Amino acid sequence: MKYSEITIRFCGIAGDGIVASGKILAGACANIGLHVMVNNIYSAEIRGLGKSSATIRFSTEKLYSMGDGLDLLVGMMSKESIIDLRDVKVGGNVIYDTSTIGDVAEEDSLASHITPEIQGHGLPIKKLANEATGTNQGKNLVAIGAICYFYSLPPEMFIDQIRSVFAHKEEHIIDINIKAFNLGYEYFRENYPLNNQFEIDKRSEPRALTSGNDAIAKGAIDCGLKFFAGYPITPATKIMEIAAKELPKLGGWTLQMEDEIAAIGAVLGAWFAGKRAMTATSGPGLSLMSEMINMSVMAEIPTIIVNVQRGGPSTGLPTKVEQGDLNIALYGGAGDSPRVVMAPTNSEECYSGIQLAFDIAEKYQTPVIFLSDLFLGQRTETVTIKENIDRNRCTRKKPTPEQLENFQRYQITDDGVSPLIVPGEPGAVYSTTGLEHSVTGNPNYEEDVHSMMTAKRFRKFESMVEDLPEADILGEETADIGIAGWGSTIGSILEGMEIAKKQGVKTKLIKSIMIHPQHEDSFRKFFASCKKIIVPEMNYQGQYAALLKSRYGIKPIEIHIPSVNPVSPLKIAQKIMETSSELSQ
Amino acid sequence: MSFLSKQTVLDEFKKAKESKTKEWRDNLPTWCPGCGHFTGLHGLYEAAERLNIPPKDFVVVSGIGCSGRFPFFIKGFGLHGLHGRAIPIATGIKVASPDLTVVVVGGDGDGVGIGGGHFPHAARSNFNLTYILLDNSIYGLTKGQISPTSPMGMKSGTSPYGNIARPLNPTTLALAYGATFVARTFSRERDMVSELITKAIQHKGFSFIHDLSPCVVFNKVVTYDSVNDASAMLPEGHDILDRSKAMTLAESTEPIYQGLFFREEVPSFDDHAKQVRDGLKD
Repeated sequence: MKYSEITIRFCGIAGDGIVASGKILAGACANIGLHVMVNNIYSAEIRGLGKSSATIRFSTEKLYSMGDGLDLLVGMMSKESIIDLRDVKVGGNVIYDTSTIGDVAEEDSLASHITPEIQGHGLPIKKLANEATGTNQGKNLVAIGAICYFYSLPPEMFIDQIRSVFAHKEEHIIDINIKAFNLGYEYFRENYPLNNQFEIDKRSEPRALTSGNDAIAKGAIDCGLKFFAGYPITPATKIMEIAAKELPKLGGWTLQMEDEIAAIGAVLGAWFAGKRAMTATSGPGLSLMSEMINMSVMAEIPTIIVNVQRGGPSTGLPTKVEQGDLNIALYGGAGDSPRVVMAPTNSEECYSGIQLAFDIAEKYQTPVIFLSDLFLGQRTETVTIKENIDRNRCTRKKPTPEQLENFQRYQITDDGVSPLIVPGEPGAVYSTTGLEHSVTGNPNYEEDVHSMMTAKRFRKFESMVEDLPEADILGEETADIGIAGWGSTIGSILEGMEIAKKQGVKTKLIKSIMIHPQHEDSFRKFFASCKKIIVPEMNYQGQYAALLKSRYGIKPIEIHIPSVNPVSPLKIAQKIMETSSELSQ
Repeated sequence: MSFLSKQTVLDEFKKAKESKTKEWRDNLPTWCPGCGHFTGLHGLYEAAERLNIPPKDFVVVSGIGCSGRFPFFIKGFGLHGLHGRAIPIATGIKVASPDLTVVVVGGDGDGVGIGGGHFPHAARSNFNLTYILLDNSIYGLTKGQISPTSPMGMKSGTSPYGNIARPLNPTTLALAYGATFVARTFSRERDMVSELITKAIQHKGFSFIHDLSPCVVFNKVVTYDSVNDASAMLPEGHDILDRSKAMTLAESTEPIYQGLFFREEVPSFDDHAKQVRDGLKD
């Protein structure tokens, strides 16, 4: 049998090497030139009995989501894997550990739950691991060896990956892991001499793997990030860890602050001093930052906040995905408080988008909230990063010599942007405040001053539109069904559209990294050309749909998924099919 | 201390505009006549003049409260930030731009009330900042409510039956947090205030000044007279390297000691950061 796309899940408990399994398999596939996406799911518990899984999808075509269903489930632990059987496709496969049969009661045994439409393959995982390493370590490598044989993938690529993933370990550790891999490979070759073949294009170059969090950190550093202040929070901490490692090498610094208020405060201070700075957080942290975002709006100090969304409200679901922070990003804070809200839809956009965020923040002296999410932030995928971004497209507005003479920090201008100087620069000084102020920055509460200054702060959002990318319109131009989405849900929408297309239903999609402000004309034109509009998103309220409804006066079909897992493309496709049959009635 | 009339205060400041510190004077202060904060402000002018800090390199960061307006009265860069958050903002400025002279000014509510979580971390990190806490034991800007440093039993709009919590002592807090320069001053003693602010700014590391700065309008318990009656200079020969002795003296309320309690020369945050960066160059 020939495959062009496979989805495999390793399932076990924390400590089984699940994440490493994903890394090795993904790394090997990326090196062959395949497209890969990896999603790790783990509980918020530190260790012990917390269930952990890694799902790896690889394909000869570009991947946009984790898709639907598994071709192969690998149960490293019997009991924990049983529930995942429901995700295995009809005709799919399961590898279970034969060396632990008898150790658990029958109702807890994976093998006894395998139904006739699924193929079970026994593998003495624990036994072979012990043979190779003398301990239970290396179980994951035994399974990977079996998979390598099962889909006729090149074993030498896996050996390379094992060496690279365990590069920091001693040589004999690498050797016993390779031995475990070989034992798994040989066992399957002897016992399941199958003829499965994965279609590999031998000409493909190795692909780079990254996560959204990595891409954001790299993007920020590549566009001049000099200061990072943060407070550890799942699932955003990785961004801070990268900044902590890299910034000192570049003359910058990362501060772990005492809380998120201090983090965003320090970031505002660094921007006030003229340095590119950012923080990264998740919902609970963003909530704490509201007042400082208002300060950034009022004092017109640029700032960048990356919010990697997790399930909420409150402490919520720290290790599960949701797109529930759009409302707080857009509206959280007192008074008339405009801010830029961006949402990347994939890792490439995490890289290029964060750079746009810095440029917009600096030129327009505004907070930018960059809304990623747990799925996008933590999943690993093969990407092509665009590194040649124009570094001079947006720069700080400096005063002319005449303006410096009688410096007005909050001078009223046509585009709403006032000249900005930073401490240490000769010529003028100023003080700023979170109080309403006159053109010089002195506190002032007069009615005409407040209305003039409020209008100026909002005017920036009209003038910045010319610097923003147009919305992307994908799919069939003539389709009657239009879809509008945001963030990582876009991946599932694209694959859902593809499924519908195969069933003969045409659709089109409008997406933009810009949530606010947007190029409104392109949205208006798009919506006017649709008979039905679908807005799917991962929250209960339909927060993006609410924005679109109030902004464009549309009445969309809303799909609200208060999800803990990435959205299923099939779910989107079903809604498209339903909508299509309503239209044809 | 007798009350100065508003006109006397204005005249004094107009005269001062021609003084040797005029380069650092900006808008006229908006405080009530007789406010202790005038002394702190004067001390900062004097320190800037003595150390000749160019206004372009001088940054004053404040929070909210009567002391929050400091930046507008000083020629330099200023940031009148959020209530309780002056320290983290100043930290960002200083770490991003270490060549600037950054002074944080705030009140008792700002520093050990709403912003009480930031003070220990700035102190233990030994950021090269000067933090002047002007303590009037009252919320003055909101017209007289108890603060974290108000004495027990003190009645106010929000404590009509008397304050039932014990007051915090900012000097002992600074010592406990590991600040490397800790002083207490009294706003009646202009020369002492100017002298210690100057020394604090010169100190390499986190320097803290607890300035007893009575509110002449809303605080009828902690007053110039009450502080004055309890005041004493630190004993002759006090060893400023002895943190635990400094702590004992700082805890005393009878008398309330003033002067430089503690100072140690250890690497500041800037020194540590430089060492890490230099090590990465190899």
